[in-house]
Amino acid sequence: MTLAAGVSYNTLVVVAGVAAVGFAAGVVGSFGVLRRRALAGDAAAHATLAGVALAFLATGRRDLPVLLGGALVAAIAALGALVLVRRVARTRDDAATAIVLGVSFGLGIALVSGITARGIPGGAGLEQFLLGHAAALTAADALLLAGASAVAVLVVVAGLKEATLVSFDPAFAAATGWPVTLVDYALVTLVAVMVVVGLPAAGAVLVTALVVIPPVAARQWTDRVPTMLPLAGGFGLASAVVGVALSAAAPRLATGPLVVLVAAAIFTASFFFAPRRGWLARRREQRAVEGVWTRGRVLAAAAAPAGEGFLRHEIAARVAGVDAAARRRFDGAWLALVREGALVPARPAATGPADPAGAGGRWRLSTEARGRAADWSRRMRAWDEIVRTRPADARTSLTIDLPDPGTIFRDDATRPPH
Amino acid sequence: MRRVPLTDRAVRSHRLSAVCPRHPGNQIVSLLTLLTEGGGMHAWAIATAAVVAAGASLVGSFLVVRRMSLLGDAISHAVLPGIVLAVLAGGRPGGPLVLVGAVAAALVTVWLTRVLRTAGGIAEDAGTGVAFTTLFALGVVIVSAAASRIDLDPACVLHGVLELVPFDTVPIGGVEVPRAFLTAAAVFVVLVAAAIATWPLQVFTAFDAEAAAVAGVPATAVTTGLLVATALATVAGFEAVGAILVVALLVVPAASAELVTRRLCWMVPVAILFGVAAAVVGYLAAWRWNTSAAGMIAVVLGAGYGAAVVLAPEDGLLARLRSRGGFRWRVVCEDRLATRWRQEERLREPSAERAGAGGRGSLPADATPPPGLGDRVADLWLLATGRLERPAGAGLRLSARGRDEAATVVRSHRLWEAWLGRHADVPLDHLHPPAEWIEHHLGADVRRRIEAEVAPEGSDPHGRTIPPES
Repeated sequence: MTLAAGVSYNTLVVVAGVAAVGFAAGVVGSFGVLRRRALAGDAAAHATLAGVALAFLATGRRDLPVLLGGALVAAIAALGALVLVRRVARTRDDAATAIVLGVSFGLGIALVSGITARGIPGGAGLEQFLLGHAAALTAADALLLAGASAVAVLVVVAGLKEATLVSFDPAFAAATGWPVTLVDYALVTLVAVMVVVGLPAAGAVLVTALVVIPPVAARQWTDRVPTMLPLAGGFGLASAVVGVALSAAAPRLATGPLVVLVAAAIFTASFFFAPRRGWLARRREQRAVEGVWTRGRVLAAAAAPAGEGFLRHEIAARVAGVDAAARRRFDGAWLALVREGALVPARPAATGPADPAGAGGRWRLSTEARGRAADWSRRMRAWDEIVRTRPADARTSLTIDLPDPGTIFRDDATRPPH
Repeated sequence: MRRVPLTDRAVRSHRLSAVCPRHPGNQIVSLLTLLTEGGGMHAWAIATAAVVAAGASLVGSFLVVRRMSLLGDAISHAVLPGIVLAVLAGGRPGGPLVLVGAVAAALVTVWLTRVLRTAGGIAEDAGTGVAFTTLFALGVVIVSAAASRIDLDPACVLHGVLELVPFDTVPIGGVEVPRAFLTAAAVFVVLVAAAIATWPLQVFTAFDAEAAAVAGVPATAVTTGLLVATALATVAGFEAVGAILVVALLVVPAASAELVTRRLCWMVPVAILFGVAAAVVGYLAAWRWNTSAAGMIAVVLGAGYGAAVVLAPEDGLLARLRSRGGFRWRVVCEDRLATRWRQEERLREPSAERAGAGGRGSLPADATPPPGLGDRVADLWLLATGRLERPAGAGLRLSARGRDEAATVVRSHRLWEAWLGRHADVPLDHLHPPAEWIEHHLGADVRRRIEAEVAPEGSDPHGRTIPPES
């Protein structure tokens, strides 16, 4: 059956199936990422190869449902081994993950190589599970994957409240009587299911990326779980579909790496351009805070001298010192203050407003700016007081971010009496 | 010098079975011939695997104690694009350019993870997951796209082809030495030298990074050095065992050695020994069952780790079960002795029992329950070891030695009750349970000190005599 565009029915179904897988992987993976379990799924993913090979050896068939059944058993067995190692042995969690991952993958490689070397009929295609080969999917396979994905998403939606609570505050959840361990196991099992379902598209080695990268990208855009889940799903869907399409265009390339690279591109864009957490937005915000702060320091410095005004370099020395970056910030702040008319030449009548450095370069505060400057110099004194009496607080707030002075001194108790 | 591209189908069919057919029914002879047949091919492959395993185990020991195992995992994936680009730029697999490329890729991974955390607020594990999967995918895509121009096969990248190592050789003093062996040996020598040279710094940083930094250890340099070492060990093992199985070589021997040793200076050599042994056994097993050597090495490592979990002398499952079981058995035996001693005491001084029964509350220890199966077995054991005796025509009773031991247990019990009664605000009828537990733990020295402090008059809060030290 061929559609008008020349795309076969099979291709369409496969693309739809992969899209569903990508969506579900994003949704399920979100909780893995929020719960800081991003890499637990990796051990399960690498173990699936052994499961696929064992299922093939046991049944002698290469039907996808059979192989994926084996993969699921292996993935859950790997997670079980992880829990067992943590319980029984004096091995740390990270080492336990690496051990389960490395050994189970080695077992899978040994099994697949053995099958290939013996020339068992049908065994040659097993290596496709290493890096993914979506082109080999049939419509029936794709429907199976889509069905499993739908079930996984439904389970997450049904347990949304519990999963959110446990992800954000496990201690509170435990104290209020929620079965934290049970929810944890359920989440990890769901991740294992998604890893298995994503296997044909992304391959054992890289399928982790499908449950990690889209959620991390989505997290950049939002602070709310109900927004993050569909966003992560959408990113996963886009990665899977575009990746599969690219690999169809270039058949020599395995699907998995392409899917991952598309997801990585989405992540890179999110990392830079997301509205609040994005790199650009953070930079802009930091610049803005620095601007407010530097202008305030200029005003405070300008409030002190009275009489015939002050020279620009006197203020610069007091506010910025010799540090080049601080000088740049000072230049910007000075310019802004001149533009808004807070700083004016000391004797404008003599030289005229066309010469901003007039009166021998002497400046004064405009009448409107005097109140602002007094306010700022009071804030600066308060800040000095904080630095003197509570140096730890001052240090942390400085290293985290330059605080907006307007917010930290709102509390009247911190203001010196005047 | 022979050099065969790894993608060559003809060479790929040169599997172990074809090179060295099995000798059915005579495995030992065939194992020996294995090492000499084909110009020592298998010997070279085994030697290469062993050197790779030794280097990886050495580096892995530090990764494991510093809780950086997953960084090893990430680096072993992420060196791929560095290697591929270096090969594309004209480097030879195992050559210096490739080493540089791999180290650069490893540092880029770590740097990316750090940037994601500091500039993007992304948690470390998630950032690692993003960084290394992306770099690995990039490497695989370049390999696949440029497959016609470079000697790397995507499948070999994943699981290596130890079997093909002996085909790519350079002559040294008339002997054809595999290139991969030379690389791995050189890397191993460098790693050992570096480990010895920086040993105190590494140990200090490994156990308390903050204290080390305060004491002036250049912690960043030490950590960076460890990362470079990880990249070197990875790239040395890359050709032989592939990118992913290097993880197993890095972490599993070290984690196993950590279970059987207590000190880092012992853990490192044990890990190396374990890694080398697994490499040899794994290769032979792969040859026996005609499968991937790298895969079998990982499986053998896993089996070894499992054995360490069960059998480790102090932390092993068996050792812990034995010590726990041994303690329970001692408790049962001591309780039996103490019970008999109290019965004798009641027969000896019935007044003590009256004093105890009158007004001071019931004394659970003296309400002897009927002996259970464990108690009967304990009686037999005590009889066999001479702490009980059975005179002709009478029942079991304490021997002189058993009486001494029982008196010690009862003494511990009553001393503790006296001490608790003096120092803790515990009602009289609640003194018994803690004493019942601690009577099996007090040593002679502690008993003397307690006696000197609280009970010089020689009786416990229930008014019963505390037996003297025997």
